[in-house]
Amino acid sequence: MGALADITTIAKWEVKRSVTMMSRDVLPLAIILFVLMVAVTGYSAQSGLHLQDGIYRVATNDEAVASLLASDNRFSVTLLDNNPLWAGRSSYDFIVMGGQVLPSDTDKGRAAVKTLERDYAKYVNSVYSRQDDLFAAYPLWIDTQSIQSALSFSATQSGQRVGAPPQRGPPVPEGTIEEIATPSPTLAATEDELRAELVKSTSQNTQIARYTETLSSGSSAMGSFRTPAQLSPPLPFDSIILIFVFIFPLYFTSQFFMMSIMNERIERKGELLLSAPVKTSTIIIGKMLPYFLMMLIICSVLILWIHAPWLILLPLIPVIFFFLANALIIGMLARSFKELSFVSIFFSTVATSYLFFPSIFANVHVISLISPLTLIVLSIQGTAWTAADYLYSTSLFWLTGAVLFYIAARNFKEERLFSEKSLVTRMREFLSEIVSQNHPFLALFLITGFSIPFVFMVQMMCLVLFFNLPMPLSLVCLLLFAALVEEIAKGVGIYTLYARDPGFFSVRNLVIASGVTALGFLVGEKLLLFATLAEISDSIFGSILFLSLGSLWLPLLLHFGCVLIVACCLKKWGSNGFAPGVGIAMIVHCLYNLYFILGWLG
Amino acid sequence: MRSRHLAIIAKKEFSGLLSERTILLAILLQLFVALFSSFLMVGLTSMYDPTSLSQYSHFRYNIGYAGNDTDLLYTLYQSPDFRVYRIDLSTGVAALKERKLAAVIWAPDTSPGAQEPVKVTLYTLQNDLQSAIVDVKLKDVFLNYEKDLRAVRVDRLNEQPMPLEIPPSRGAGDFYEFVYGLLIPLLVFMPAIIASALIIDLITEEYQHDTLETLVSTPVTFAEMVWGKVLACAVMVPIQAAVWLFLLMINGIAISNGGLILLHVTISALVLILLGALTALHYRERTAAQFIFSTALVVVIILSLSLPANPMNLLTRLAVGTAGPEQWIVLTAVIGVVVLLAYVLQKYAERISRISHSG
Repeated sequence: MGALADITTIAKWEVKRSVTMMSRDVLPLAIILFVLMVAVTGYSAQSGLHLQDGIYRVATNDEAVASLLASDNRFSVTLLDNNPLWAGRSSYDFIVMGGQVLPSDTDKGRAAVKTLERDYAKYVNSVYSRQDDLFAAYPLWIDTQSIQSALSFSATQSGQRVGAPPQRGPPVPEGTIEEIATPSPTLAATEDELRAELVKSTSQNTQIARYTETLSSGSSAMGSFRTPAQLSPPLPFDSIILIFVFIFPLYFTSQFFMMSIMNERIERKGELLLSAPVKTSTIIIGKMLPYFLMMLIICSVLILWIHAPWLILLPLIPVIFFFLANALIIGMLARSFKELSFVSIFFSTVATSYLFFPSIFANVHVISLISPLTLIVLSIQGTAWTAADYLYSTSLFWLTGAVLFYIAARNFKEERLFSEKSLVTRMREFLSEIVSQNHPFLALFLITGFSIPFVFMVQMMCLVLFFNLPMPLSLVCLLLFAALVEEIAKGVGIYTLYARDPGFFSVRNLVIASGVTALGFLVGEKLLLFATLAEISDSIFGSILFLSLGSLWLPLLLHFGCVLIVACCLKKWGSNGFAPGVGIAMIVHCLYNLYFILGWLG
Repeated sequence: MRSRHLAIIAKKEFSGLLSERTILLAILLQLFVALFSSFLMVGLTSMYDPTSLSQYSHFRYNIGYAGNDTDLLYTLYQSPDFRVYRIDLSTGVAALKERKLAAVIWAPDTSPGAQEPVKVTLYTLQNDLQSAIVDVKLKDVFLNYEKDLRAVRVDRLNEQPMPLEIPPSRGAGDFYEFVYGLLIPLLVFMPAIIASALIIDLITEEYQHDTLETLVSTPVTFAEMVWGKVLACAVMVPIQAAVWLFLLMINGIAISNGGLILLHVTISALVLILLGALTALHYRERTAAQFIFSTALVVVIILSLSLPANPMNLLTRLAVGTAGPEQWIVLTAVIGVVVLLAYVLQKYAERISRISHSG
């Protein structure tokens, strides 16, 4: 009861302080700017974004073609007579003569033709959708039906391709055959409905749609009916914009929290707070509470505004938690405003890409589920997701957030908050604070174990990043990065211990330390894997990232060997030995992966 | 105002940045943005244009075909991408579930010249990258079939689109607009945005750490101190932008008018930096200043992007070599804004130092 009262007091304090600080004509100006922003956004929606205006120079002798070209302001069009047109063709990206497009033989020429191709398709579509007899212009309609397969992510990525190897007759399914009703030969929509949709898809001629039309040739509200031209994987573009609507306010609010923590540290202003007879965790929770509530309120307002289901609050909460945890740590670590700015911008970019990019593939691939935002996209689309999906996509956010809060709470005291050492030194001190003096080996075991969620997060990021590359390259990149990340994570604990007390590393202690680190890593890895990530861990990407679940002593030996390499390098060359040590360990790790998992050496 | 004093202040800020290694983080950040946006583009394009994924291009996918014989079946037989099996619909979908087929097509017995459209049903796997690729490949087949059907029904059309013969451009030129129309302006402009955030930190830090007293007691005037910081931030912009241009050129991306691009970026960056400095001088406190400034920045950027011939569009056109003489008008206008803001900043700084001297 007492703790709760303390938290409320501190939270009230925090609100009061930030209100008085913000009163210096911030609010009026903020409101003006907000109104301006709405106005400007409306204006730009009307006039379009003019980033790529006039990048192609084209010419023609045909007025109808010229007006078609001029409708796209990427072209700067010149209307010429036949002779000057032909003579001057080299100074244009393409010319159009007598219904023929003649591009220049450059990348730019080809890109210009590609743009024209899309514009022309849109023009043809606009002509066809005006036809009295719509089904003469669009004689073919495709009804797309998605089938759920029991073998999903793991099967396609483990080298198997869709479909069986070449065979004589048609494939014979092994399982039971469910009766599929013969589809009706008629469309379920009327001609007028279809025409309205077609007109709508042509009129989406904004500059924003330009970036998406490379990818999908038009959204469809016609249910599963499409013309062949519209047949491409759906890109949930509307939902993606909504995501930015959710994430940016959250990021902004967490900035205020970060700054509030930083302000406590400037000129030792927070000494008063620290001397209060309350626990540090109470202080942190109290300071955080107003921001947490504010973020929840912002999200709720947004949900009401866009009429989204309330269910999307569930995946948003771990994101809020994660943002706040990072804001706390960054606010405690940064020495100056410059550092605060750069570290926080860097963090937010990385976090936003981790959240954002997988969700683009929401309708295409299971890997998109590593981001909680995918759940939001799915909810808005009206697709159901399960509790397992929730666990799978949010567990890393919960775990990393919790670990960061723990570290922050342990370090929220005078000598850490007001020290002026460099960023890396401070990070090491923060870690060193949670390595217990009396039980260094137990602490090492725990640190390595708790580094696992972070390792997974970084590796997931790499997976998303490299998944885009063609197959052999993506495997090689993933192999190198995964090994590097793991070796750094394992080395950090040992390094912290070494930096605090170099004399601690006798040969015996060195071996024990390596042993417990390896064990901690293995245990943490297995626990998290069993809990959440089985889907990815069974694929070939997973086998590189997480080692196999099967035998235990081989991975343990590998971890032990690698940590020992790092530790020996530290002992021999001091702190300078860390980087080369990690390098060697990484190579060993890669060779192990190549040999045992991929069997490329054998 | 003495140039020596400006140089001293600028140098002090530079050494501060270098010793904290924050500048490294800033560069890392830009690299990350560039990397991720390129990777994303490559990934999405390969998803929608499977020929760019060499591994899949020579593979024949197994397709099940159910229902009635149509021209579609013969188009499919001729396609080099598919191996087609006549199959019963239920069996086909069951095989699809076991991934023994990549897609199943059902065709009705609607005649090509019928009044109603031909409605084909396509069964594919949900949430699957490869079925996305199969979709794209099937699209070509369907488009050909649509063309044939349209030719049968051509008499019923009351207007024909104007014919235009476009040479095939398979796989080429996909990245051009992304690189020149998005990546280059983004990368070249990012240093400007970073510099304007930096000036706020530099100025508010003096206020909040109470280091102004020490500075004012030196021969450096308050206005000189502000301008020294502006100088430090402004100098970093062309340097970073030049490095980006250089890196892009190493990667085989030809960029015209490099010098002019740097000139335009530096002048535009000055607008942002001066705005940042004014905000910081007004609020003297980082949270408020950064909040107001970043909101204002969004407004300014969206507004300028929605105007034709804006500075960012100019960068794009300079890079591809299609900028006309209008670039000088834009440049003059931006310089006008800079001069105006500089005047306001100077007056404001003088007023502040007068007040603090008299008070």
